[in-house]
Amino acid sequence: MSTVRLSGISKSYGRLPVLAGLDCEVPEGAVVAVLGKSGSGKTTLLRLVAGFERPDEGTIEIDEDVVDSAQRFVPPERRRVGYVAQEGNLFPHLTVEKNVAFGLSRAERAGGRAEELLALVGLADMGRRYPHQLSGGQQQRVALARALAPRPRVVLLDEPFSSLDAGLRASLRSDVMQLLREQHATTVFVTHDQEEALSVADLVGVMEGGRIRQFAAPEDLYARPLDRTVAEFVGEANILAGHVSSGWADTALGRLRVADALLPNYDGPASVLVRPEQITLRRPAGSSEEPAGTVLQREFYGHDCLLVVGFGATRLRVRCPGRPPAEVGEKVVLSASGEVACWPAPG
Amino acid sequence: MTKLLWGRRRPPLGLAATSVLVVALLVSPLALIVAQAAQGGWAKLWAALDRAFVASLLWNTVRLALAVTALAAALGTSMAWLTERTALPGRRAWAALLVVPIVVPDFVLAWTWSSMFPSVHGYWGSVLVMTLHLYPLVYLPMAAAFRASDPGQEEIARALGLTRWQAWLRVSVRQARSTLLGGSLLVCLALLGYYGAFEDLRYQTFTTAIFGEIQTQFSPQVASSLSLVLVGLSVLVLASEAAFSERGVLRRSGPMAQRAQSPAALGRARLPAVCSVAAVVAPAVGFPVFVVVYWLFAGGSSALPAAVSLGAAAGYTALYSALGAAVATVLALPVSLLATRHPSRWSLTLQRSTFAVQAVPGIVIALALVYAASHFIAFAYQSPELLVAAYAVMFFPLGLVAMTASVARASPRLEEVGRSLGKGPVTVRLQVTLPLVAPGLAAAFCFVFLSAATELTATLLLVPTGVQTLATQFWAYAEEGASFGAAAPYAATMMLMSVVPAYLLGRFFDRSLAAEKAGGAQVLGALT
Amino acid sequence: MAKGKRTRPAQTPTRARDYWYRRLLATALAGVLATALAAVGCPTAPAGASGTRADAITLYNGQHPQLTQAEVTAFEKQTGITVRVRTDDGVVLAEQILEEGARSPADVYLTENSPELMLLSQHHMLAELPKELLEQVPARYVSPTGNWAGVALRVSCLVYDPERVKASQLPAHLIQLAEPRWKGKVAIAPTDSDFLPLVGGVVATYGKQAALRWLQGLKANAVLYADDESVVAAVNRGQVALGVINQYYWYRLRAEVGPRNMRSKLYFFPRRDIGGLENISGAAVLASSRHKQAAERFVEFLVSSKGQRILAASDDYEYPVRPGVAPNPALPPLRAVRPAVLSVVKLGDDLPAAALLQQAGLT
Repeated sequence: MSTVRLSGISKSYGRLPVLAGLDCEVPEGAVVAVLGKSGSGKTTLLRLVAGFERPDEGTIEIDEDVVDSAQRFVPPERRRVGYVAQEGNLFPHLTVEKNVAFGLSRAERAGGRAEELLALVGLADMGRRYPHQLSGGQQQRVALARALAPRPRVVLLDEPFSSLDAGLRASLRSDVMQLLREQHATTVFVTHDQEEALSVADLVGVMEGGRIRQFAAPEDLYARPLDRTVAEFVGEANILAGHVSSGWADTALGRLRVADALLPNYDGPASVLVRPEQITLRRPAGSSEEPAGTVLQREFYGHDCLLVVGFGATRLRVRCPGRPPAEVGEKVVLSASGEVACWPAPG
Repeated sequence: MTKLLWGRRRPPLGLAATSVLVVALLVSPLALIVAQAAQGGWAKLWAALDRAFVASLLWNTVRLALAVTALAAALGTSMAWLTERTALPGRRAWAALLVVPIVVPDFVLAWTWSSMFPSVHGYWGSVLVMTLHLYPLVYLPMAAAFRASDPGQEEIARALGLTRWQAWLRVSVRQARSTLLGGSLLVCLALLGYYGAFEDLRYQTFTTAIFGEIQTQFSPQVASSLSLVLVGLSVLVLASEAAFSERGVLRRSGPMAQRAQSPAALGRARLPAVCSVAAVVAPAVGFPVFVVVYWLFAGGSSALPAAVSLGAAAGYTALYSALGAAVATVLALPVSLLATRHPSRWSLTLQRSTFAVQAVPGIVIALALVYAASHFIAFAYQSPELLVAAYAVMFFPLGLVAMTASVARASPRLEEVGRSLGKGPVTVRLQVTLPLVAPGLAAAFCFVFLSAATELTATLLLVPTGVQTLATQFWAYAEEGASFGAAAPYAATMMLMSVVPAYLLGRFFDRSLAAEKAGGAQVLGALT
Repeated sequence: MAKGKRTRPAQTPTRARDYWYRRLLATALAGVLATALAAVGCPTAPAGASGTRADAITLYNGQHPQLTQAEVTAFEKQTGITVRVRTDDGVVLAEQILEEGARSPADVYLTENSPELMLLSQHHMLAELPKELLEQVPARYVSPTGNWAGVALRVSCLVYDPERVKASQLPAHLIQLAEPRWKGKVAIAPTDSDFLPLVGGVVATYGKQAALRWLQGLKANAVLYADDESVVAAVNRGQVALGVINQYYWYRLRAEVGPRNMRSKLYFFPRRDIGGLENISGAAVLASSRHKQAAERFVEFLVSSKGQRILAASDDYEYPVRPGVAPNPALPPLRAVRPAVLSVVKLGDDLPAAALLQQAGLT
């Protein structure tokens, strides 16, 4: 279990800047997700922590030891950082067992650590097979076992589940994360799937423009995103124009309380974030003054449904539990509840 | 389903420098030949070339190249289809037999035909013999392509309404188009470089004319100028292939597991199919083996004494070929690493330029080396080192092709993972990269060894005093002595010496494709 | 942008195993390299310069190995001097000697035809031979400047297939082979070094223009072969009606396949026509040689009675030059053959002949 700290990391490839002044601190034993679009530099970040590449500027510390700075560089083999790549990257010429045992000393190998880990990932009887004889999911599990075998201080996972099909992904994900928590390993994994990041991690960092925009627990990230980009990244977002004064926002959907600690003394126009599940719909009962719209689209998911409602000039995405209360084309009345996040808007 | 891969990271300086050096070394014979040809002045050079004789050589060479390339391509493809995609009885046996002609050198094959049927000579004789000798160069890669092809695409095509035959033609064959082009390219370039066979079949080509010039003219200028034309032809062939083929390294990114092909049933066409395969194997494989054995036992000594004994000739051949193979393999490794790990327009150009070396026939390289040795590197003159260097230069591209698939498999990502698991950089290279690259290195070694052991043209020019290889001693008997019985043991020994590396090479290609279908696509990319 | 250079990792020793692997690899590589160099070095012994030992010479041999091997073996036995032989076409070797210049590793040059020797002599590549040596050979078989000596003789002639052409139909003059009636019936080997002197002889007898016309006629008429062995083999098989060769090729083929399998016959041109040119095969010591004494001994051996008797007894079937040594009994006496005699000076070197061959489009 170790902490990881990155300070002022910058990296460019040629003239293309990938990371620009990135700061991040991963607490001990935490599972941290780095969320970002493809090409946002997430993989580069992991590779820097692992030691496969060096940043142009900045410092990396693991457990208060400086592993990379202008004065010092610790090569990957001495960092005790485990790395699981997207494609698994098992050694094709070694059996599964030998793969897992690769990072172990002779004593450890004799002690049966490899078998222990294979059992942990549920592949106890696959030791003699070769990687090409395993399925994708099995290969990922072996890769994880291999990375955990030498008891690394930090485990890095690079989009470990993205190459698997959807059904497998969810189950493997929960298995893997459970295993990592049992081992109390400090884990950093990168993904572009916000669902994955939010559901699994203790802390999520949203990466954009070469930096981490916001680094917080999933609930905080979801409810109190720092800006519009982050908001739209971590979930469906309805952005309304509104006016904020003394902790309340006036919007077309009514008066809503601003989430605490955001814009404490602000008074003025703002963009207001309303999540789909904060909006409720019902059939209009007679003519009323309440805000109304027309259902344009609906997607039914079984446990809930998502409706796209035309509201004035905008389209709102609304999530309703169970069956949709209205059909496409019908007029509905809208109301919102709960706390909202806002950001100052120009004029 | 396929992704064109371009790297964006610059390669380490040492690797880049080594590769550039290697390539410069390989391309230098060309510069030397130009220098030698221009010795008497450009006007004289032009006068030597602007003759009806040269025009007739050009005509001879071009029409032979076209005919043989087309026939070998057709033969190789059809045989590949029969053995890989149909339910031909005894497929594996036929497949192994079809590859055997690689083991029989061109001049031995021509000798077997002309010794039994003297009427086989001239244009049609050359077309026959060369097609039978060269079709494996198309057969091997096409068979690999058919084996590695994805049945899913053909099934989709059939779902869109094409018949089975149409689907095969328009999907698989089209995809294998670049492989076909690559194989045809090899056929054409090899053809341009042969000397012994054409001398035997009495067909005038550039190479026989170059030797003729050396034997009658007292300055190397005319020979060098003819060599330039030959190189020009080869470069033309290379350029036309480049114009038609695809760029980049093909990598299949999809699910690892791949379904096997279902072979097409032949039904009533089974007997004709078997007959047609036998009709190819018999003259290509059975006949030369039979003739060599026949002359071995029919005996007949020669008044011509052997300069060295059979054992000594075999020893020299093995030694020089092995050294040449080792040098070529070592030189090819940095270039291969650069091309696969740091692919860019730059490194691809570097790789392609080494293939330009293949465009320079052995005789030209030999002439250039003799020129270099006699003018610049006196200690190397008539030395075995020069011969070894010639082999390394001539067959370097073959080594490169053979090892590229393995080198591509040994991705630097694996090295990184190994290091993250606590192993130092050298340990990782030994425990991870080396085992993965080793089969490719061995295949490269075998390929170059095979080619060097049966090389005649350059060896005739470069062999040190007092030394004979199996090929040159065979040639002395077959051509100068016209004594078939005395020549046969040398032919037999040459063929036997080639069997083991050829077998290993075949197994390498087989295994590297069967074990990993994704590797198959890489081999395709390497061969084109 | 980078702020100052990133330092290399501090020289902290990597794990012990890695360090030892590095050492092992370096040692292995050095060992392989050393072995390779040694392996290549060993068979270098026969190659390259003759070395500083006095008892070894290098022979550039343009003659057929049948003859040379017998002579070399006997010479080595008699004198203990090792002879390293490089066999190749006479013209090729002459060209090599010219290119090599003073650095040439050759000590003795033995070739099939005199023009090559004349060319080397003109370029001052040959050393003068001792008078006692030259006196053992008739004057017309010796260089006019005394730097090469004839060793064997051969006569140009025709080989013909009696089933395809009758002896009475054969031409009386070599120059007649260019006539249209011989179209497709004549076999020649223009790249064989034996052909150049014949062309030189035609030039000396009829002049350059006539020689060129003759060659052009031949090009239209002739079937081309790589060398004289192939010519005689082809005529013997019945593929071509007649071929232009030196007489000894026919006898050598007969020695190989047996008299019963010889369906072809020899025809010598009458009245000393140039078609029956007498070719002198000679030996010389190179001016650049560092073992002149040993080289002279070898040349002397070749013209000595012992050496000439070896020649006569061998399967070479060339005529000895030394008076008093009878040729191989299978051969007809030289007088009976009545070869055309052309002084070596008049025959000259092969350069004009080579140029004519090019002009005619035969090479």
